[in-house]
Amino acid sequence: MDASVAMYVAQGIHGLAYGMILFLVASGLTLIFGMMGVLNLAHAAFFMLSAYFGYQMLAWTGSFWLALLVAPVLTAVFGILMERFLLKKVHAFGHMGELILTVGVSLIVLDGVKAVWGTESLPLKMPPILEGLVQIGGMQYPIYRLFIIAMALMLLAILSLVLYKTRLGMVVRAAVSDAEMVNALGINVPLVFMCVFGVGTWMAGVAGVAIAPILTVFPGLADQMGMDAFVVVVVGGFGSLGGAFLVSIIGGLISSYGVQFLSQYAAVLMFVFMAVALAIKPMGLFGERE
Amino acid sequence: MKTMKRLLAVTIFLSLMGLLLASAVPAEEMKPKATFDFNKFPDMSDFDPNQPVEPGGDTIKIAIVASFSGPAAAVGEIYYACVAWAAHTINKQGGLMVDGKKKMVQVFKADGQSKPDVTKKVTERMILQENVDFLWGTNGSHLQKVINQVADKYKKISVNAASLSDELQEGQDFSRYSFMTTFSTEQIGRTAAYYYGQVRKKEKKFYILCQDYLFGHSMAEAFKKGIKEYYPEAEIVGEDYHKLFLTDFAPYLTKIKASGAEVVYTGDWIPDAANLLKQARQMGITLPFVDIFMNEPRFLVEVGIEGTKGLVNIGQYGIGNPAFRNEEQIKYHKAWQNARTKWKAPYDTVLYTHPSGNIGAYITSVYWLLSVVERAASTDPDKIIKVWEDDVYQGPSGNVYKMRACDHKQIGLLTVQEYVPPEEQKQSYNIPPYYWFKDCSNAGPVHEVPIEKNLPKADPTLCK
Repeated sequence: MDASVAMYVAQGIHGLAYGMILFLVASGLTLIFGMMGVLNLAHAAFFMLSAYFGYQMLAWTGSFWLALLVAPVLTAVFGILMERFLLKKVHAFGHMGELILTVGVSLIVLDGVKAVWGTESLPLKMPPILEGLVQIGGMQYPIYRLFIIAMALMLLAILSLVLYKTRLGMVVRAAVSDAEMVNALGINVPLVFMCVFGVGTWMAGVAGVAIAPILTVFPGLADQMGMDAFVVVVVGGFGSLGGAFLVSIIGGLISSYGVQFLSQYAAVLMFVFMAVALAIKPMGLFGERE
Repeated sequence: MKTMKRLLAVTIFLSLMGLLLASAVPAEEMKPKATFDFNKFPDMSDFDPNQPVEPGGDTIKIAIVASFSGPAAAVGEIYYACVAWAAHTINKQGGLMVDGKKKMVQVFKADGQSKPDVTKKVTERMILQENVDFLWGTNGSHLQKVINQVADKYKKISVNAASLSDELQEGQDFSRYSFMTTFSTEQIGRTAAYYYGQVRKKEKKFYILCQDYLFGHSMAEAFKKGIKEYYPEAEIVGEDYHKLFLTDFAPYLTKIKASGAEVVYTGDWIPDAANLLKQARQMGITLPFVDIFMNEPRFLVEVGIEGTKGLVNIGQYGIGNPAFRNEEQIKYHKAWQNARTKWKAPYDTVLYTHPSGNIGAYITSVYWLLSVVERAASTDPDKIIKVWEDDVYQGPSGNVYKMRACDHKQIGLLTVQEYVPPEEQKQSYNIPPYYWFKDCSNAGPVHEVPIEKNLPKADPTLCK
């Protein structure tokens, strides 16, 4: 492959890989908002918390795979506890109460990780099997980034299947549409919502562990991803999984090709895209007017 | 006509000689007026930053204005360990004779949370409530600027040991109460260029990748200036500035790879420095990085020996090889290492292994301040300024620093360290176990860049 073509192809794959990480974080956020109407500002903090759990699991067991399996589950447990004992109580008071509560939880999580793990950057090593490079059309590309793309696509497929092709998914969608009616049918709606919240935080947890080998685990991790994920959810349309997916990919590609062609504006291109998209479709690309 | 030409030639020659002489620093100018006294160095085995001994009564008060919370909290803790170590050294010696009384040194933590408004508030509180004599900081030029402004307002001495922007001591930002005891962006950029152009003379294609704010741009400008001065045949093949705390460096690294660069010059600090290096090595990019902050052992260990081989680090603490030139230096080094075996979190990490590098520089800045206090026999700012201006101090590493009177910037020899695997580090770390770190590359060959080649920028309105 010609060197300049290889460079553009590589930038495209970088965009996809970053887009997939964005999707993993943003999907949980949009899922929770779409299903429950809760804007969870602690979402990025859960993403960071999972990276710390992953670091700890790896330190204890030496297994990245166990860390990838257990840390998101632990994070989901925290998410469920938050929904069950905190969010549920303020839900009746509207969005303002939820916003304040989730900001408070994110601050507690931030101080909690500092108290437990300190403030230094911690390493989370990728498994040896995912280290190194692979040849793609005469170009070398890191295996780990391809793994991230594959994993995110797999999760999207599973999530879509469950939501749109199973009875469980049907119940969730019905509960979102008319909670009272579903409750009257004998289905435990609060339990359904709690599970949705758990799945949303679990997705953030998966993203936290997945990205940790590329970055370092430190208390600023939440800030690093939080804003980009929020942009994805807003532009994709609150609650739209498809919207989140599409905008994540576009965001990733804007990020990498922006560096290539408009380097000095790379940091703001995503926000320019947001402004343009919202000017055309104020509810987001796939958002629906209530 | 011939006479005119000769006259012109002589004039040009004399002008050039004059310029050369003016830029050179005569040896007697760098003759230390005070030296770190190893003979007075006490038993430091009881020093523990987790359980500091706080002296009471009338004390010499130093406030560390830094981030002790938020993402940069680790930085504040590093500063604290360093300042407290130096204070403990003096206190174990019985304190300093100040204003006719023996006084101990007391250290305060002032948490600026990395925010300018909070920094201003806590700095004022330190002065007005705690009555501190000296302000010591900090992580970020924008924050140091605030500290300097408050110091100027209340006529207190501010010591800048960690913010590298030359602009802090220039133009309207200059305050006679502020002293910069760290190297500056200008020195770093020119030192890097000098090393590649006048010492190494191999690589010719450089890529600049820095953070997109004042410090990053100052670092880049200094390097470009240095390249023009010391290595005109070299080429800057690319130049990029990325946002702070960037997640994905892959697009930049792909550009760098395609540019044909042989060296990447960066001013990035942690976590960006760590992520940049990690992601480069994960992508199979083995180019050397020349930098000042890519020396944090925790992430160097993570990247491993091979991945860190060939890095080039610019330092201000030490001198050339070997690092230890006498028994006193070894004793001093061991005293730190023995003491730290008892330290608990957050001071129990590999970062605190050696009292050298950035840690060494921070400690030296406090020793220098306290040496000035001792010689001024007072904490009165005017007396301190009088002693410190044009003062020359030799720290524990043997490096000699001068405080330029016109703009209060530190002048000193800088080093360029080439990172090599542990088995080759003996040339630098010449005491057992003969390596700085077992699991990563670190300083091997160390080149000294003379003072006259790395002088900090001089504001012509201040330094005439």
